[in-house]
Amino acid sequence: MFINQQIETDTLPKISSVELKPISKNYFKIIILNKAFVYAVFLSILIAGKFAIKKEAFQDNFVYIVTIVVVGLILNFVLARLAFKKRKYAIRDKDVIYSKGLIVNSITTVPISRIQHIEESRSWLARKLNLATLKIFTAGESGSDLKIDGLPLEEAKQINDFLSTRVNGNS
Amino acid sequence: METVDFSQPIRQSSKGIIIIFAFNAYKFFKRFFVIFIAFGVSLARKKTFATLSPQSITLIIIGILIVLLIVAVLKYLNFKFYLSKDDFHLSTGIINKDNTIIPKSKIQNVYIKQNFLQQIINVVSLNIETAGDNKSEISIKALDKPTALQLKKELFNKSNISEALHTAIETKNIFFKVSLKRLFLEGVSQNHLRSFAVIASFVFGLYYEFKDYFRSLKLKQHVEEIIHLDEESILNIIILNSVFILFAVLISLLFSVLKTVVTNFNLEVVETQKTIEINKGLFNKVSLSLTPSRIQNIVIKTNRIKRYFGLHTLSVKQAMVNVKQRKNFVIIALEKEQLKHLVDKLLTNYTSDLKALKPKWYYKRILVIDMLVLALIINVSGFFIFGNMMWFINIAFIIFSILYVQITYRKSYYKIDDEFITIGSGFIDTTTNILEIHKIQAVKLKQTIFQKRRQISSVIITTASKAVKIPYVSEADAKSICDYLLFKVESQDRDWM
Repeated sequence: MFINQQIETDTLPKISSVELKPISKNYFKIIILNKAFVYAVFLSILIAGKFAIKKEAFQDNFVYIVTIVVVGLILNFVLARLAFKKRKYAIRDKDVIYSKGLIVNSITTVPISRIQHIEESRSWLARKLNLATLKIFTAGESGSDLKIDGLPLEEAKQINDFLSTRVNGNS
Repeated sequence: METVDFSQPIRQSSKGIIIIFAFNAYKFFKRFFVIFIAFGVSLARKKTFATLSPQSITLIIIGILIVLLIVAVLKYLNFKFYLSKDDFHLSTGIINKDNTIIPKSKIQNVYIKQNFLQQIINVVSLNIETAGDNKSEISIKALDKPTALQLKKELFNKSNISEALHTAIETKNIFFKVSLKRLFLEGVSQNHLRSFAVIASFVFGLYYEFKDYFRSLKLKQHVEEIIHLDEESILNIIILNSVFILFAVLISLLFSVLKTVVTNFNLEVVETQKTIEINKGLFNKVSLSLTPSRIQNIVIKTNRIKRYFGLHTLSVKQAMVNVKQRKNFVIIALEKEQLKHLVDKLLTNYTSDLKALKPKWYYKRILVIDMLVLALIINVSGFFIFGNMMWFINIAFIIFSILYVQITYRKSYYKIDDEFITIGSGFIDTTTNILEIHKIQAVKLKQTIFQKRRQISSVIITTASKAVKIPYVSEADAKSICDYLLFKVESQDRDWM
């Protein structure tokens, strides 16, 4: 028989009550290195400009330009640092949750039954720091795929195993 | 109806040679289009091209055509297919032999299409689509229609359940057939801005290709002579502009009507027991079937004028459909009752009489900010192009903005019940988005730092074909929507496809 029980929305498991786990602090080192590289490119372009561009307006205001760029970079770094704290994840019995972003914060939840496949990837830096990236693919639009960076290798393996058995068990 | 034995390897209809030949020739000429133009231009000027006389050029062209014909014949001879118990086998290739085997159970879709040439020589092409990327599609270019229909049926016949299904599927019912008048109305009431953009980009593209040619025509001088711009009176400029606008509107209108009529000519919706079939097209006849289980989203569109005429557009987003076909799953010019019937058929137990919930007021603020940004861009760029003359445009713009904000807010709502989510949106169009809860792939809560202070959040719901957004509801509501949807998806063991 068809039963249609009323659902009390208050008694449902709540996303807000899930304790999200921050990703490994070591991952911030990778972010720093990546950022440092970008900053170095910026600054070297500026310095090259100092020698290459002969225009008065540029040479006179060089100090200001440098200050603006440096302030921008520092701001960018501070924001990255603050946003890093927002990168959190949780695995529940039935779904995977990943939250990220300081200025635009998003919490994405993918039910385990909708996962198509899982990929574990490790860059050169990540291998040195014993970290791993877990990519979780669904059949949905590309926006619904999860990419959890900076998981400790052990943890990534465990999650991968858990999810894989779950995904295969369901089908 | 004579039956064809598909268990032996057979070729397509011998008319296939013509189709393959025409297809290859078309591809060839398209690729070297620019060179041909250059040919033509320099021939017209100097009677020769790169020291070649017209005679040898014709010889070369004839030679190319003969080669293409030989290739077509060889391709035809080497194109063989047959059906075994569970698989479809296809062997192709002149030098590199390809052998493709598709298990019947993996076939997602079978389309029958007929383009203009195929209509003349009375054959159809049959496309077999499997899940996966676009390249996995197989196309048999020339079959006569009874054979194609029979093949389609056999492809869908799984070996073990064949007999039972056979009788059930036969009950066909042409449910909806569009009249030319309604097609015409549909074309007239379209969003002409879009057709205008298409035409404008096309004209610019052409202009860019033939820039030098146009310059030699001295078009500008002609126009100036006609309108006597040298007097520089404002009246003339106004006349020139209004003539131009009128012309653009007319062309867009014509384009919209033509496009609608050509792509949807003889639109026919056929109901069978389980599926719905769409047949349409004037030059390119397509025939596709919709399977309810594969449908991910349904979008209903109408606008004020269309509602007056009783015109509704239903587009169906299916999973695992090749990009080119995606835009074909659209049924236009539906009456309200017909629309309701179709929706009922595609979504069982769907009701729309629920209380519509509105987004927070904050949504208006976002819309206002959007408009302010647009105003800034228009004003700054307008100032640099036209100078102080253009401030008047802001009067029109303010009216437009107020309308935009009010109407967009008024039209946006969401409804959630046991099985469906309905989201309304639109400014000129009224759009209704329906999706089944068990087809959700992921749920996302999105909140900017400014929204956090006001406790406002948006919910983005992704299915296999589309992401929809419930905009700017209160944080508590957003979270409970999220919890509810996840609970629904995770507690029922229903597949999304």
